[in-house]
Amino acid sequence: MHTKHSTEAVSTAMLECHGIRMSFGGIPVLKGVSLVLEPGTVTALAGENGAGKSTLMKIASGQYKPDEGTVEVRGEHLHAGDIQAAHRLGVAIVPQELASIPEMTVYENLFVGRELRSPVGLLNRGAMIRQAREYLKPFGLEIDPTVRMGSLPVGIRQIIEIVKATSRGAKVLLLDEPTSAIAEQEVGRLYSVVRSLRDQGVAMLFTTHKMEEIRAMADRVIVLRDGNLVEDKPLQQLSDDDIVEAMIGRELEDMFPEIGTPQDEVALTVEDLVIGDGTAPVSFSVRRGEILGLAGLVGAGRTELMESIFGMRRAPAGSVAVGNRKVALGNPAAAIAAKIALVPEDRKGAGAVLSMSVLDNASLPRIKSFTNAGWINNRKRSGSIGDIMKSMNLKSRGLGQTMETLSGGNQQKVVFGRWLTGPVDVLLLDEPTRGVDVGARSEIYRIIVDLARQGMAVVMASSDMPEILSLSHRALVMRGLGVAGELSKAELLEPSAQDKIFRLASGLEASTKKDIENNDN
Amino acid sequence: MTTNRSTTLEPAAAGAAPGEPGRRFSWQWLQGFAVRHAMVVVMLFVVAFFLYKSARFGTVENMTTILIAAAPFALIALGQTLVILTGGIDLSVGSIIAASAMAGAYVAKASAGNLLLTVVVAVAVGLAAGAVNGFVVSRMNVPPFIATLGMLTLASGAAYVIGGGAPINGLPANFGSIANTEILGLKIPVILMILCIIAFAIIMKRTSYGMRVYAVGGNRLAAEIAGVKSKRILFSVYTISGVLAGISGLMLASRVISGAPNLGQGYELDAIAAVVIGGASLMGGRGTVWGTAIGLLLIQTLNNGLDLLIVPSYWQDVIKGVLIVLAVAIDVWAAHRRTS
Repeated sequence: MHTKHSTEAVSTAMLECHGIRMSFGGIPVLKGVSLVLEPGTVTALAGENGAGKSTLMKIASGQYKPDEGTVEVRGEHLHAGDIQAAHRLGVAIVPQELASIPEMTVYENLFVGRELRSPVGLLNRGAMIRQAREYLKPFGLEIDPTVRMGSLPVGIRQIIEIVKATSRGAKVLLLDEPTSAIAEQEVGRLYSVVRSLRDQGVAMLFTTHKMEEIRAMADRVIVLRDGNLVEDKPLQQLSDDDIVEAMIGRELEDMFPEIGTPQDEVALTVEDLVIGDGTAPVSFSVRRGEILGLAGLVGAGRTELMESIFGMRRAPAGSVAVGNRKVALGNPAAAIAAKIALVPEDRKGAGAVLSMSVLDNASLPRIKSFTNAGWINNRKRSGSIGDIMKSMNLKSRGLGQTMETLSGGNQQKVVFGRWLTGPVDVLLLDEPTRGVDVGARSEIYRIIVDLARQGMAVVMASSDMPEILSLSHRALVMRGLGVAGELSKAELLEPSAQDKIFRLASGLEASTKKDIENNDN
Repeated sequence: MTTNRSTTLEPAAAGAAPGEPGRRFSWQWLQGFAVRHAMVVVMLFVVAFFLYKSARFGTVENMTTILIAAAPFALIALGQTLVILTGGIDLSVGSIIAASAMAGAYVAKASAGNLLLTVVVAVAVGLAAGAVNGFVVSRMNVPPFIATLGMLTLASGAAYVIGGGAPINGLPANFGSIANTEILGLKIPVILMILCIIAFAIIMKRTSYGMRVYAVGGNRLAAEIAGVKSKRILFSVYTISGVLAGISGLMLASRVISGAPNLGQGYELDAIAAVVIGGASLMGGRGTVWGTAIGLLLIQTLNNGLDLLIVPSYWQDVIKGVLIVLAVAIDVWAAHRRTS
């Protein structure tokens, strides 16, 4: 910057990646990606799940060694596979899965690895606490550095992670899905932290697949699709549609199949179900063949509602009925017997046993139907599960393949399919396409629509707005563990639907008289 | 006195202390204390019970007996605390005790009472075994349970090999002076125990090494990203655990002036129990030296008190087993109260 700006010879780049190629197990994840980060800029690395964003981040931060290509930090070659070398060069990553130590205090987290010591060599905790306050103050964080990290909300912890990286002199900051784990009201704080770091000359790269984040933070947008860099332009030169279409590689409309017509018969009736302490009761019904979307922000109660219906959490009051028969609350076995099925959000934690095979996972919920006097009838089991997985278009080496080696989309197909070995009247889906790549996503949509056509009542919670808008016959918007409003199909098709959902979800608007009663927080 | 001591040694409490309103003695304060230091309360109940039941329990002589019995356990429990803080476990300490006791006894006999050589060899055996554990866990990425299970078998076998399958008796008289010498009225193992507890409390609370041990156990990836050399930390905790087991073995052999290949058998379980009773999480990242000391004293007090009440030894095990689980259940309940 001290010399001629116009010449190409003098590079001001903070980070340069050249021709990065990387494969895992013979499957190419990055196919020759190059990018340059300038100081004081924020670059969005957009792309669907599986596009290669996280891998590129890990290469740029020295965690992975690329098969081909180089990474240079301020002109210095980054020796791959060495996080600490990257650190010394001033590259820091804030990973998607938080890198904080929950059992330690805020200041210990900030200083671990470069502790302040007194002349005798003992820890100088007082100095670290004071210094931590200094670090946190410019970011408007009025927190006591001596509180346990684990007691803070995820959004705050993430900002502390960013403070930690920059307090160690990071000049290049890589943020992997910075908003994926934090609540909506905390996102604004993250934006302002990012802006103030940009003003200090830090080069930032963040991965995302959300439009609003790109609009709020980025100066420049890079889009990855299937391991290729397909777009690299300043934000002003791109429309929302340009970016989305670059990410998915086709027109939006093609993603979603035509949804069927609901039958008249009501399958699921939820009456005055209370899902939190002192929250407003929730009532709704879903007909056979109907897909009810559940929209809302993180923490609005979508997951809690589904778990209450399925009996995983005990609702203090209310009733759930399938057809005309009431279902005992707080008892998943009763819910399964009433032909309710739940595909949970957290596939790794609650949906599947990743170390077990496809066959074992798929037969787990209804294992009794495959046994004679306790002995598993393997021929019956393989036959039945094989048929279902074929109908789901599962891509696996066979039913014996372990779940952890399948892609997210194929794991989700198994978690779906495992319920279909028996009758299901009510299908509860919590974020059915989280962690599923684009190609598999449209297949999941097809499966959902087909199941509804066959007469299942589907309740689908989703944070993905196009999913809610295009797949639901009706949508409920949740807020504060209650229902904030409802949109009919006609309302969902209006161009203003997305805005309306957002306003309901964030409490900016109370749409009908019913909702005003519910807005008691 | 107890309150101040414990708050300075416990990281969580140290963080909470400044925010607390005045520390007046009140019912609420007492409740808060009971929840924060549930194990101290349990300990007080156990002590009160034995004091009530047995006239001999409260004598100075008996207190000394408890401390002498506690000393060898204290050393391995301290090592175990560090290992458990990293999220690992060291099952081999009981066998390392046997191997280093036998090695010490063998050298003492062969060198006709060269004490320095005896001590060096016994400690070196512990160091070597611990270093192997550390290497296998940190560099070869073998799960700690398996690595130290292997060492448990190996060291136990080695102990029998050293003695040719039999105990080593007829040792020079000065071999006994290692553990039986008194300084200021306290025997060496007791002094060593007190010094080690203080030293490790300071190391874990006041040095960057201690902080890094917590960090590696709390979130290894995060620690590495922050520049902590986690493999070195892992290697070091197993090595320390081995050294302490070596010293412990030497003390035990010296106390009875004999080397027995089955010495220390099953001690690892009492050490692990002491650490867990002390509030450490087997997942790593949570636990204190102070907690381990309390857990250790609780177990030793039970052993001693039940002996005094002439409870048959098999029944003692039954009672101890129940109390260990009960004590941890109380701690889990109190931890839940602490966080909510």
